[in-house]
Amino acid sequence: MIMKKTIIFTAILAMALYVSCDKEERDTELPEIFMGGEEHFPHNCDTIYLGESFTFRALFTDNFELGSYSIDIHHNFDHHSHSTDVAECPMDAGKAADDPFLFIRQFEIPAGLREYNASQVIEVPEGVDTGDYHLMVRLTDRTGWQAIRGISIKIIDAESQPD
Amino acid sequence: MKKAFCLLLVILVFANSGAQVNIAIEGRVVNENNSPLAGATVAVNNGKHFTVTDSEGYFRIPDDRSDSLKITVSFVGYEKYARLTETPEKGSLILISLTPEMQLLDEVSVVSDLAARIKRQETVSTEIADRNHISMHRGGSLMSSVNGIPGVSAIEIGSGHSKPLIRGLGFNRVVVVENGIRHEGQQWGADHGLEIDQYAVDRVEIVKGPASVMYGSDAIGGVMRIYQDAVPAANTLSGNIELSGRSNNNLIGGSAFLSGRRNQLFFTSRFTLLDYADYKIPADSVEIYSFHVPLNDGRLRNTAGNETGIHASAGIIKPGLVARLSASHINSASGFFANAHGLEPRMVDTELYDYSDRDIMFPSQEVSHLKLTGQVRYEKGIYRFESEAGFQNNFRQEKNNYVNHGYMPAVFPGDNGSLQHLEREFNKNIFSLNIRNFFEAGRRHSLSLGINSEYQDNQTGGYAFIIPDFRLLSTGIYLYDRISLGSRTNLHAGIRYDRGRVQTEESADWFPTPVEDPDGGGIEDVFLTRAQAIDRTFNSLSMSVGLNYTGELFSLRANIGKGFRMPTPKELAANGVNYHYFRYEKGNNALQAEESWQADLNFEYNRPQFGVELSPFFNYFPGYIYLDPSYRMDYMYGAGNQVFEYTQNQVMRFGGEARVRFDPARNVSAVLTGDYVYSEQLSGNKKGFTIPFSPPASLRFSMLFSPKGRGTLQEPFAGFDIEYAGKQTRIVPPEKETAAYELVHLVAGTKVAGNNRQFEISLRVHNLLNRRYLNHVSYYRLINAPEAGRNFIFSLKVPLTGNNK
Repeated sequence: MIMKKTIIFTAILAMALYVSCDKEERDTELPEIFMGGEEHFPHNCDTIYLGESFTFRALFTDNFELGSYSIDIHHNFDHHSHSTDVAECPMDAGKAADDPFLFIRQFEIPAGLREYNASQVIEVPEGVDTGDYHLMVRLTDRTGWQAIRGISIKIIDAESQPD
Repeated sequence: MKKAFCLLLVILVFANSGAQVNIAIEGRVVNENNSPLAGATVAVNNGKHFTVTDSEGYFRIPDDRSDSLKITVSFVGYEKYARLTETPEKGSLILISLTPEMQLLDEVSVVSDLAARIKRQETVSTEIADRNHISMHRGGSLMSSVNGIPGVSAIEIGSGHSKPLIRGLGFNRVVVVENGIRHEGQQWGADHGLEIDQYAVDRVEIVKGPASVMYGSDAIGGVMRIYQDAVPAANTLSGNIELSGRSNNNLIGGSAFLSGRRNQLFFTSRFTLLDYADYKIPADSVEIYSFHVPLNDGRLRNTAGNETGIHASAGIIKPGLVARLSASHINSASGFFANAHGLEPRMVDTELYDYSDRDIMFPSQEVSHLKLTGQVRYEKGIYRFESEAGFQNNFRQEKNNYVNHGYMPAVFPGDNGSLQHLEREFNKNIFSLNIRNFFEAGRRHSLSLGINSEYQDNQTGGYAFIIPDFRLLSTGIYLYDRISLGSRTNLHAGIRYDRGRVQTEESADWFPTPVEDPDGGGIEDVFLTRAQAIDRTFNSLSMSVGLNYTGELFSLRANIGKGFRMPTPKELAANGVNYHYFRYEKGNNALQAEESWQADLNFEYNRPQFGVELSPFFNYFPGYIYLDPSYRMDYMYGAGNQVFEYTQNQVMRFGGEARVRFDPARNVSAVLTGDYVYSEQLSGNKKGFTIPFSPPASLRFSMLFSPKGRGTLQEPFAGFDIEYAGKQTRIVPPEKETAAYELVHLVAGTKVAGNNRQFEISLRVHNLLNRRYLNHVSYYRLINAPEAGRNFIFSLKVPLTGNNK
């Protein structure tokens, strides 16, 4: 019995020591998305145009190593989705989707980076529905942590605009 | 096997004793082996007098000088005793022998009470929650009512659903057995709750360790055995109505029970109805990822629900034979928090959603679970035969407004309204058969030889693919031997062989995706294959060796066992968006069966008014199946969501539970419990990280004051619980660190005797201080939704009749 107790006590002690000496540092931090700078585009409530291209620009950072990011532009005609930015954008009247613009792409970030200036040309085709859209950016790091940021944008037809 | 018990009928014996002359009537309650039963409730003349037996099984009641006495005795795990007798002469002792109630699963051995009996059967740590515990801790669903047991936690899905987590393992790593049959739903899913009516539960036994030898695949983290309404006492017709109310989610509900028995034939029946509103949290808003969602009056939008349960059983009970047929149907509908479901956090039409807190809008789930069970137990001499056969149908629908992703059409085609809202559907039929033979071999060996077989057929539907249709056939055969090494020590050894086959069907999208022809043929519309057909067979050898020593004060159990689990069809073939957590989940057809080695110890030291229990364990998985978040995203079907892929890694876990109980004063009992689990992935992409749903270390201190009853108030009690959960910093993506919290709960209640009836009233205040806290293992933790705030829980139990018939 004493023998057994000693073994158990030793085992518990060994486990306690094992836990307390946290050998390698684990990555417990999420990557970050910065889209608010002057050089970044689009900002919340910005407008992009039918048949034209625009350049998505944002800054991504991580404490260890960045993974990849995706851009997702989808219609928000039903006004059901919303942005992470506190300011609300003026919306058009709700409507049913006919041929909405849908853009979902994943982009690699070169290995080994902690900071990355994303710059991606995105073309808005002719003929898609104009109106309220939602642009979502998802960013991961190599560990698998993910950050999400969504903003509201508007797609309008530049030619039909009275100017 | 355990020493077979011989008696199945209630025996009344009058015995002379040289006891002291007294004006009171004295008696003694014993079990079928004449061992005293301490703590049995004795009631005389329909509740006129109540008492509880002492440690030697004795009780005393005042003599009313009437000619006859109606005595009822109840004790958990035994058939209720109810008998009209002549008032005995002074100085004589009424000896009442209780019969263990029908338990087709467990095997009865010679010890004085159920808890000790079960503990002797198991060489792995086992916890018991009886009807009293459940009604005293009554939560929104069974697991939240069983909460508070060290090492056991509940994954709560809103306020009306929950599933068990044993030492941090849950989902398909815990087997739930009801009426001897494995309860099979869609337990792989995070939003799935146990389809079990908590009012129909007499007792829950939780085995905290691998039990694959007895239960086969999935019993890797533990087993939860549920016993339903017990066989009624001979020649009785009785019933009761239980009513419950909860202030937090405005729950109203209740359950009506009627049972009867005439000699050998018996029946039980029950009807349960619950309806609840959106539950309230102590917060005006929640942050889902970085999305800000304001709440109306702190109500978690669209988490209302309802549940109905219908149960009926009938059977025959006679010496050497028990047979019972049971049928139950559980139906529930409940909403999901509207802002946190779909492809992204959503701002919903708050005016519409907040118009009523009782309606169930989209997204929602509807579940119906039908269960038919037949149980037989036959015994003769040293041989015993037990068998259960069961059929279950689990039908579950998740509903939501159609949202396209990938190349799904922007508008749902056709005008079929119901299909357009059917996000997912699962329809599963389950057939089960268990056969067990027990026999004594010589003086030392109690052998059991058993076979379990199960067939599942799961059909899926809805516009959003997650898992393919599948069929699953598994069969296992085992031999278990309990070797007696003297009167106090037993050695247990078991071995089992399992063979299982999983077949999934090929699944293709219902919508075309434009794909570029690699040979330069331009772009074609293709109905992409979402899942390939899979046909896998898994074999496994499980074993366990254990030692059980039960002394007067000190007892010890030790066990080493190997458990296993076949990969689920979801782990093998998932390929779709998990709408609850905004992620894209992919199966892996290369997965092997999950195996686990675990060593368990359990020490107990028990004296009257003081006891200590310690249960450490160590566990190693050579290939733990883990849903690993990658850094990639899926821009086709996954709507840009992060890809989570099933992988298999080495995992080590250890931890344990401790319990100290003491009686600081007369009629006051106190219990301090604590539990801790450490988990670490030893290989793979997340080496050094823990595994998902790792519960934080926790402590709980409970004190209960149960003074003697006075007048019509019998067995009154009042007490408090202080619950402390430590900070959980050991997390794995996408989890978040969870802060420590402490909660205070109050409880009080009494039995009220009067007018031939005995009412039971209890009031519980959960989260008295209205603390805002996050539960690390809660379903809504990932979206940062705090747990329910202060909650007054009222319950009343009214007997329909207390008379013999």
